[in-house]
Amino acid sequence: MVQFGQRRAPHTTAHNANRPTRGFIVEEQIAELTAQVAALQGSSGVTNTMFAETFYYLTIPLMIIIHAGFLAYEMGASRLKNVLSSGVKNILAFAFMIPTFYFFGWWVYWGFPTGLPGAPGPAGISGVEYANAIAWGWGESAQYMGPNIADQASGVFFGAFALFAATTASIMSGAVIERIQTVGFVILAVVLGSFAWVVAAAWGWHADGWLVTQWGVHDFGAAGLVHAVAGFFALGVLINLGPRIGKFNADGSANHIAGHNMPLTVTGLMLIIVGFWGFLMACVIVPGEAWSWFADKPSTIYGTPITLSALAFNILMAIAGGIIGAWVLTRDPFWMMSGALAGIISTASGLDIYYPALAFIIAFSAGLILKPCATWLENRGIDDAVGAVTVHGTIGLYGVVLLGIFGAGYPSLQGAAGEVPTISLIGQIIGAVVFFLLGFVPGYAVSYVLKMMGMLRIPEGAEIAGMDMVKVPAEGYPEGIPAPGVNLAPGE
Amino acid sequence: MGFPYDEASWSVVDGAMFMGWGSAMPGLYTLIAAGICVAVLLFGQKTESAKTKQFEK
Repeated sequence: MVQFGQRRAPHTTAHNANRPTRGFIVEEQIAELTAQVAALQGSSGVTNTMFAETFYYLTIPLMIIIHAGFLAYEMGASRLKNVLSSGVKNILAFAFMIPTFYFFGWWVYWGFPTGLPGAPGPAGISGVEYANAIAWGWGESAQYMGPNIADQASGVFFGAFALFAATTASIMSGAVIERIQTVGFVILAVVLGSFAWVVAAAWGWHADGWLVTQWGVHDFGAAGLVHAVAGFFALGVLINLGPRIGKFNADGSANHIAGHNMPLTVTGLMLIIVGFWGFLMACVIVPGEAWSWFADKPSTIYGTPITLSALAFNILMAIAGGIIGAWVLTRDPFWMMSGALAGIISTASGLDIYYPALAFIIAFSAGLILKPCATWLENRGIDDAVGAVTVHGTIGLYGVVLLGIFGAGYPSLQGAAGEVPTISLIGQIIGAVVFFLLGFVPGYAVSYVLKMMGMLRIPEGAEIAGMDMVKVPAEGYPEGIPAPGVNLAPGE
Repeated sequence: MGFPYDEASWSVVDGAMFMGWGSAMPGLYTLIAAGICVAVLLFGQKTESAKTKQFEK
């Protein structure tokens, strides 16, 4: 048999010995076409690879907008005397998150989806041995942790995950403003962003994760494993940190401590919403690459199908539902924009499979319960300055559990029910409990140790004077709106 | 509500895959969502009018 591209010896006769036969010409054309198809395939492969790399690359600056939002939101929610120190804390958390996630967070994600001791899972992309081969910054593994012309995926995947990590730190950051020590906060941020949520992601956001393979847990947009983990980590910290001076009266009733710039806070919340488009986009696995789940369609991180159109429909309806729900009870732009976040978070677990009108209804209910949940927490002596525990923690778990009601029966992985687990209410509740514990326990334990070491809370005098005056050699509003006191030199 | 196809497998999915597809639920959800919008506007108008009336001269 003659293969494409292989020239057959022409049949010749005395009559046409010196000119090519028709068969010869056809074969030559086929060979030429084959070469063109091969070139086209190569070119299309390059295009697909560049598209895949660019897709994740663009999610990184989009997710940095989340941090621009958190920065504005936290600084606006701070009183004038603390505005810059809140900013310093937030910026520093971001800066420490990236290298620590590089040092060990990325390794934890790949190493422990099946739990301890880090055995390989059925999909073959997990376990300590696998993580050792791709996620350490030294030895042979370092080829996947630095510039490599043959690897156009590892860096952008790492970048997207590092930004997920930084988001968890920012969620906790807002709750603890105006009284936490900088270094103590950074240590907490590293534990949360480069360890606690990473364990949750390995267990519940990986095709080999035991929560997925054994319980069918589905959390496409990380409502539980990012938001709830971070929210309840913050709760654990807040219990040890205590409220700001003046937050509660002797009889236990709470005072509202207004931030110095509500418009900045609300604008910051809107920026977070913008950034979440990048966050959720980064939760999609693009098709056509060696590491893709499908050749022809995008998928979730679990390998189940999804489209960006599904995200566009459902995220927009969720934002709208959350805002409307919060408006009904509060009429307050801060809570309305928090409602927008709650709308996204409450539907994030099932953004791939919700019907848009159902996403709207769920988000509306989340917006509705938001303020009452925050008030309930405040009445128990918790001073969460920006409502992070409620917006991210409570609503995150609410979303994870609701998916167990509405999405029951959907296969959690590729394959058919019976061969693979399906989404169920029990599975989602188990996932919610695990996510709660993975946030709350390390948050409480590490902050308790820091408290014992005197590294958690600033002294009372410094809190009263204002953290900017104590820690920041600059003024937030130098012209006309002076911060109290005189700045000290850096480090004093 | 469950998976919208007879066989609970992603390999049989070649089109709509959202919850309630093939049933009356999408229409019902849409009706409820629209009802929420109308109800919220009515409630909002009523309560806001009550507040603004307090400032009538």
